[in-house]
Amino acid sequence: MESVYSPYAWLILLFPFVAFVLLIAFGRQLHRLSPWIGTFAAFASFVIAALLFGERIAYDVPDYSWAEFRWLNAGEASFQFGFEVNALTAFMLFIVALVALAVNVYSAGYMKSDERLSAFYCYLALFSFAMLGLVLSENLLQLFIFWELVGVSSFLLIGFWFVKPEAKAAAKKAFIITRIGDVALFIAIWVLFWRMPGHGLGFTSIHNAFHTNVISAEAASWIALLIFIGAMGKSAQFPLFTWLPDAMTGPTPISALIHAATMVAAGVFLVARTYDVFLAAPAVLDAVLWIGIITALLAAVIAAVQTDVKRVLAFSTVSQLGFMMTALGVGTWAAYASGLFHLHTHAFFKALLFLGAGSIIHVLGEQDIGRINGAGHTMRITKWTFAVGALALSGLFPFAGFWSKEAILAEVWNRSVTLFAVSIVLTALTAFYMSRLYFYLFSKNRSRQTSSSAKESPWTMTIPMIGLAVLSVTAGLIHMPHLPWLGEWLTGLSFDTDLHVMIMIASNLSALIGIGIGYLLYGRTGQQAEDAASSSRWRRLIYHQFYIDDIYAWLFVKPLRGAGLLLRWFDRVMISGAVHGTAALISAVGRGAARLQHGQLQGYGLVFLIGAVILAAILFMVAGRSYFHVG
Amino acid sequence: MSGILTSYLTLAAILFCIGLYGALSKRNAVIVLLSIELMLAAVSLNLIAFAKYGMNPSITGQIFSLFIITVAAAEAAVGVALLIAYFRNKGSSDVTDMDDLKQ
Amino acid sequence: MLGNIPILSLLLFSPLLGIVVLLFMPANKGNWIKKAAIAASLLPLLLALWLFASMDHDHQGFQFEEQALWVEIPLDGSASSMQGYAEYAYQFYYHLGVDGMSASLLLLTALLTFLAAMAAVHVKKRWKAFYIWLFILEIGMLGVFMARDLFLFFVCFELTLVPAYFLISIWGMSERVKTANRFLIYNGIGSAFMLFAFILLIHACGFHVVEQGQQQFAYYSGSLDIVMSHVFEGSGQSASLVLTEGLKTAIILLLLIAFGIKLPLFPFHTWMLHVHKEAPVPVVMLHAGVMLKMGAYGIIRFIVFLFPDRVSEMSLLIAVLGLINLLYGAVLAFVQTEFRLLLAYASISHMGIVMLGLASFNASGLTGALFQLISHGLISALLFLIIGSIYERTGTTSIDQLGGLAKPMPFISGMLLAAGLALLGLPGMSGFVGEFLAFAGLFKPYPLLAVAAALGIILTAAYVLRGIMALTHGPLRGAAGKIRDARFVEAVPMIVLMAFILLLGVYPAVLGDLFQISLYQIVTQIGG
Repeated sequence: MESVYSPYAWLILLFPFVAFVLLIAFGRQLHRLSPWIGTFAAFASFVIAALLFGERIAYDVPDYSWAEFRWLNAGEASFQFGFEVNALTAFMLFIVALVALAVNVYSAGYMKSDERLSAFYCYLALFSFAMLGLVLSENLLQLFIFWELVGVSSFLLIGFWFVKPEAKAAAKKAFIITRIGDVALFIAIWVLFWRMPGHGLGFTSIHNAFHTNVISAEAASWIALLIFIGAMGKSAQFPLFTWLPDAMTGPTPISALIHAATMVAAGVFLVARTYDVFLAAPAVLDAVLWIGIITALLAAVIAAVQTDVKRVLAFSTVSQLGFMMTALGVGTWAAYASGLFHLHTHAFFKALLFLGAGSIIHVLGEQDIGRINGAGHTMRITKWTFAVGALALSGLFPFAGFWSKEAILAEVWNRSVTLFAVSIVLTALTAFYMSRLYFYLFSKNRSRQTSSSAKESPWTMTIPMIGLAVLSVTAGLIHMPHLPWLGEWLTGLSFDTDLHVMIMIASNLSALIGIGIGYLLYGRTGQQAEDAASSSRWRRLIYHQFYIDDIYAWLFVKPLRGAGLLLRWFDRVMISGAVHGTAALISAVGRGAARLQHGQLQGYGLVFLIGAVILAAILFMVAGRSYFHVG
Repeated sequence: MSGILTSYLTLAAILFCIGLYGALSKRNAVIVLLSIELMLAAVSLNLIAFAKYGMNPSITGQIFSLFIITVAAAEAAVGVALLIAYFRNKGSSDVTDMDDLKQ
Repeated sequence: MLGNIPILSLLLFSPLLGIVVLLFMPANKGNWIKKAAIAASLLPLLLALWLFASMDHDHQGFQFEEQALWVEIPLDGSASSMQGYAEYAYQFYYHLGVDGMSASLLLLTALLTFLAAMAAVHVKKRWKAFYIWLFILEIGMLGVFMARDLFLFFVCFELTLVPAYFLISIWGMSERVKTANRFLIYNGIGSAFMLFAFILLIHACGFHVVEQGQQQFAYYSGSLDIVMSHVFEGSGQSASLVLTEGLKTAIILLLLIAFGIKLPLFPFHTWMLHVHKEAPVPVVMLHAGVMLKMGAYGIIRFIVFLFPDRVSEMSLLIAVLGLINLLYGAVLAFVQTEFRLLLAYASISHMGIVMLGLASFNASGLTGALFQLISHGLISALLFLIIGSIYERTGTTSIDQLGGLAKPMPFISGMLLAAGLALLGLPGMSGFVGEFLAFAGLFKPYPLLAVAAALGIILTAAYVLRGIMALTHGPLRGAAGKIRDARFVEAVPMIVLMAFILLLGVYPAVLGDLFQISLYQIVTQIGG
């Protein structure tokens, strides 16, 4: 049957956009109202997204695509924009709209006393608009436009507290490092532009082109690689991940929405959206796989020694994104489905964890886990929802994270045993750093001295947390072994996923071991807070992310500055020097000539006389005597 | 060409050269003015000589020399006036001091 | 719709109305003069809008042409080769006409002049003379974009120099006289090259014979129509110069230097840095927004359109020049501490993109170059407008001395940030369209150069954010006492410019279609 709601999918963009325009134009007047406006827009978007998603679940409706907006003609090419609703986009829309709604409600409490409340909601609406637009985009160029816009809204929100120098630095860093990836994606678009028949950049035509092998394998590899580099920037993959931890200087709800659940997952979404290209380039798929697993492991290790709540969660996000990339890198449709499934569950529990962390920060005004030291244990709702999130992230049965991790692990197992072993270690590490974080935040045992007076956060903040906690438990039920509903729905294929009991046991066991070690090290009475600065060299190395930032500074930033200063000297001395030299030469000649201009009239007269005589002589010699009619 | 014309022209040439020499070499501005008058007189003499003994004798040359005499008188008057103004201003009538335009 | 109205002449001389009105106003009534001048500058804008709206999108070639004999200089007809012609002379026409590219640039000029007139509220002295010079400048700029005769073009090109010279030397900052002199000398040298090239062109391609009854009249004409037809079809008649390939190259190089100084191309750029730093804000708006584009326009009109075959052979040279401009400007912008200089180097960098688009020599690249022209005109004007407002409040535009301005002036800072994002090519704003098309176009012939140019995108982001965030973010610095946000008369131009930037970014087809009719001819010539 035809889809009823799909032709109106563009409305989903309209609401956040209107909210954005309203808030940017009348922000100051609407100060108190801005949470209502933002939340209403998010709610309206969510309703439409839910309708689209629900319709696709309930009925077998064909994909809907509309691209009649003529953006630009440039000679040989016509760029048409529009939107496309299919299973993948509807699924993603639903996740984004849901988390955005939760964060909008939550922010009403979290940002209540901020004097730039309306600006916050304004940027938030811009982000929702851009992110939903990215998902709905019909072609790669349009996706790129929204891709940059989410980057900008992320940049604006990271730098929201603009007075803080570290916010400024973090925002700049986030923008520039993701921009490196964006440029790769940009180049991929150029390659596609010239390689695709009819310069088409639509996802449908890309799909068709790669299915009919119009594009050579070499070109496919280049395109896939460039797209993946783009995804690496946005999804914070090694070695472009360093911006994400710094991005935590933004308000915490933003970290939950943009830097955990949605925008950073856009890279994964992009790879999924152009999966046909990747399937045509097996070598690049391997690169995706290995980059993914390296990122996952590295970030998990770093997360285990961080001392800032949000940085722990940020590295955890990097790690989980790497894990999703690993799944996509396996290169089967079942693995593809498992990767997206993990994106879906991760969005909920990671947003939940960030909101929980935000709740702690909001109440205690403290981000350093050593100083919090268990003080959160009186905040019951936060504590329990955080626990749910942590267990889901650790991948314990029967939480959502378990199912999605299990799906990926099963695919990885089919691919390679080594990789599987690494993934099991990763699971244990994940469970370890999450339990460490949990005990630092909420362990009553730790907080003997703090006669905790911490009150729970307001209802606007707890309700989204509870909602997400429910989802963190249940969201995994849509894709299970023997019942791979989500995967089949997304891909339109049928999987025969077996129940891998051994894998389940192994993953649960490793998670339990991780939690156990975490408890032994951090959960018991009388533990001292660790101090990263004065600890061992290895610990410092890991804490500082293996000094990758400094390596970048030495490799790129300093040479650039050096080149700049050198060129500035060149510009000043050589070019201006050449110009000034010429000018000096001319004025020297001028001064010499000026000496003839001595002001003595009689001298001039003499020169004139001599000149006249010489001219007459020349005339006499050239024209001859006859000219003068003499004789 | 008749001999008489040649002698007139020679005289005029000598007069002109004396005037030119004076105008270019004398430092006193009054002498320079006088020398210029001398050159003008030489030109007038030429005109009259041609008007009387030239190939096409006519009255035009003599009329022209009358004009020249008038103009020369006016020019001398203006010149002397400038000179007096300059002398009052600078206290000098030496042409080598008159180099204000140099700056 | 326009019937027989000579719209181009009306537009060209419409600033005269403002001049006449101002001449009759007392010089000391600053407020009245400003209001009258702003109102008067609205007239060219309306005419330009009218013109723009009534352009025929299906008509290839020039529209609204007007032609009248302007100057005739008789030549010595006794030379042996010229026997038998009843008349033998130079003929220069008052010949106007617009295509899509010209119409867009005309609109840009009129718009920016209007906004510059509004931005001139910062001017502190001699308002009357200021506005009169401004209007003369506008006439010159409008003339450049609509002239269809080499001589007329040259005259208009020169006409812009005089008012710009006075505007800089009277109303500029501390080193204004030196800057104005430098401006004049550099541009004078450029004009000399241009004049030489034009003379060669007229002698090689401008010769034509008109038959009237029994008599034949021989003329050397500066009309672009005649020159173009002779370039493409060969003159075949006894012109005094034969257009050999060598002569073509010579003309191209001469013109490249002439317009390269204006653009400016590395290494002819140093004069322009001083102008950006020393000239008063309204003049820099027009200078960065329109006058630099005159150089690019000249390159497109007289190099690319006249000698497409030769240029496509030299495209590597143009691409390399463009790349040098792009990267050199970007790297230098990264280390500047004076915001105006940063913007000056940014202009150099962005003009590099124009060159890269031209070098690509395909429809998307050329469209991109044209887009970049208009877009950079709007963006740089906006940035200088904002910088002018900041300078008025803080007395400095040095990055080292400012910071945290988002707090006392959120509107100006927000605009600055938005303009900066437009400058670094954020999609949804006009800068992106030009960049995308130019680079995508360049990628086909020179993929490696395009990738190297893509490096410029990252550098652009780096220097723009470094400069702008230093001003807007961080702790408040450099603002002694209480400073106000934008006044109404300041806010309006900013909003108008931003609206255009957004419009072009969201719906570039408004310009794209017009560019297609300009480029149609050239693209078919080179076979797509």
